[in-house]
Amino acid sequence: MAETSAKPPLAGRLVYRHNRITRLTHWLSALALMILFMSGLQIFNAHPYLYWGSTSDPDKAFFSIGASQNDDDVRGFINFYGRKLDTTGFLGVQPGVFGPQARGFPSWLTVPGYYSLAAARRWHFFFGWLFAMTGVFYLLYNLPVGHVRKFFFTPHDIKKVPAMAAYYLHVRKTSPQEGEYNPLQKMAYTGVFVVLAPLILLSGMAMSPQLNIAFHWLPALFGGRQSARAIHFILAFGFLFFALGHVFMVLTQGFLNNMRSMTSGWYKEKIPVVIETRRAASSPRGTPVSSEQEAEKSNETES
Amino acid sequence: MKLNPKLSRRNLLIGVLQGASLVLLSGCEKLFDSLSQNKKIQSLLEIAENGSRRAQRLVTPRNKLAKEFDAKDISPKFRANGNPPPITMEYTTDAQNHWTKWRLEVSGLIKQPASFSLADLKSMPSRTQITRHDCVEGWSVIGKWKGVRLEEIINRVQPGTDAKYVVFRCMDTDSDGANYFESIDMIDAVHPQTILAYELNDQPLPIDNGAPLRLRVENQLGYKHAKYIRALEFVSSLNKIGQGKGGYWEDQGYEWYAGI
Repeated sequence: MAETSAKPPLAGRLVYRHNRITRLTHWLSALALMILFMSGLQIFNAHPYLYWGSTSDPDKAFFSIGASQNDDDVRGFINFYGRKLDTTGFLGVQPGVFGPQARGFPSWLTVPGYYSLAAARRWHFFFGWLFAMTGVFYLLYNLPVGHVRKFFFTPHDIKKVPAMAAYYLHVRKTSPQEGEYNPLQKMAYTGVFVVLAPLILLSGMAMSPQLNIAFHWLPALFGGRQSARAIHFILAFGFLFFALGHVFMVLTQGFLNNMRSMTSGWYKEKIPVVIETRRAASSPRGTPVSSEQEAEKSNETES
Repeated sequence: MKLNPKLSRRNLLIGVLQGASLVLLSGCEKLFDSLSQNKKIQSLLEIAENGSRRAQRLVTPRNKLAKEFDAKDISPKFRANGNPPPITMEYTTDAQNHWTKWRLEVSGLIKQPASFSLADLKSMPSRTQITRHDCVEGWSVIGKWKGVRLEEIINRVQPGTDAKYVVFRCMDTDSDGANYFESIDMIDAVHPQTILAYELNDQPLPIDNGAPLRLRVENQLGYKHAKYIRALEFVSSLNKIGQGKGGYWEDQGYEWYAGI
């Protein structure tokens, strides 16, 4: 592997793209996010209403999942600002062994599948800590080596967005991508790092009564504890949206190549990597030499 | 055999993925259900509870107060949750007689065992606070509470240094007849806003909200706020209280530390 990467920079050569900390934290975060999302839906089921403000006046929920019964007919619905949508079988009412069963999100979407707020909270807080610590560990390791800068969206990238979008939408034939990450990728990853992750952690902490005492500004930042709860819920679906897009791109843009790069670290570059060399040279600690050394180390330990 | 042209590589991939995700999903549900009931996994997950308690206390100055709201923020109705009120003849009769028989018994690792009537408690210095109540289920209501600070009681009964927790014995029972109980440690017990409340929104504490006396411990979720209190017990360990987890809900899997 190290020999391959020593060849001159040409399209199609293997490059060591993800260091081992990136790969480890990627899979840990993926696991944590999945469990956080599913246990979070279970926690939501305990009170399937969302409000704006500090308190929860039952008449003022802007979103709810509910069930209504008319004789033998049990219907599930969602209510968004007074507009009702029948969701029987999926949200509000799910098929059960003893007939229709009232339940916010269905069993197959929650952790655990059976109703237990206590168990869901234990899963949620353990993996909340794991997710936060994974993120901190990732940044402590990758900020100094300049790994994060490679996909950080800057104002400079804005004007390149339309061309890249045109390529993905099959309007443009050739990829305008320069460097390892294209502007849309940068936008997505930067959005996760700068908006989604910090805000979902803060809005989660804004629901803690003890942390509300420690930091009075925390619930205020979101407009009250119930607003923080609503925003936490919305951001969770932001993560779901990102995860679905991410998996779709991985599947369609070279599944095996992408999986190889996130397991072994090696990625087959599709474009000349001249730009990469120039950027690496500007950061003394992120030079190609150091990443190759690490690649060799990882080959020793992982082969 | 001629290959169905519709069975392209892409369609095959999509089909395989759909099948796999279905198997994965039902497998996932069973996996997490069994993991949730596995004792070893549970004790692993419980690490987070201690982590949360230590970390949250580390960042909270000891006597810092929870936000107190204005009178205009008070919720129109203070939602009641948990067990229904006690239905014993003793309780209902005493309620009609404005709690003339009711006593708060204080025992355990203390120098001065004591018993207080509601009038005794009302004659002590009081504290009034408008605070937000957060239920573990997710809802929040704001109410105005008046009561006696728990530290006031503590100063009178003088717990020994071996007293680490206050256990609240309650009169309400679940459908199986098990009595409610709760516990907090001495750090939370002496917090300025930890009070034994006998008034809600300028009225005597309603039966639904825990009459005649309930706990307010503003740094924790609603299930810690014991209602229908009849006795306080100072103990060195929670091991022998109930099933050993320190509370009615704790014995059913909820965290003892409910600051999160």
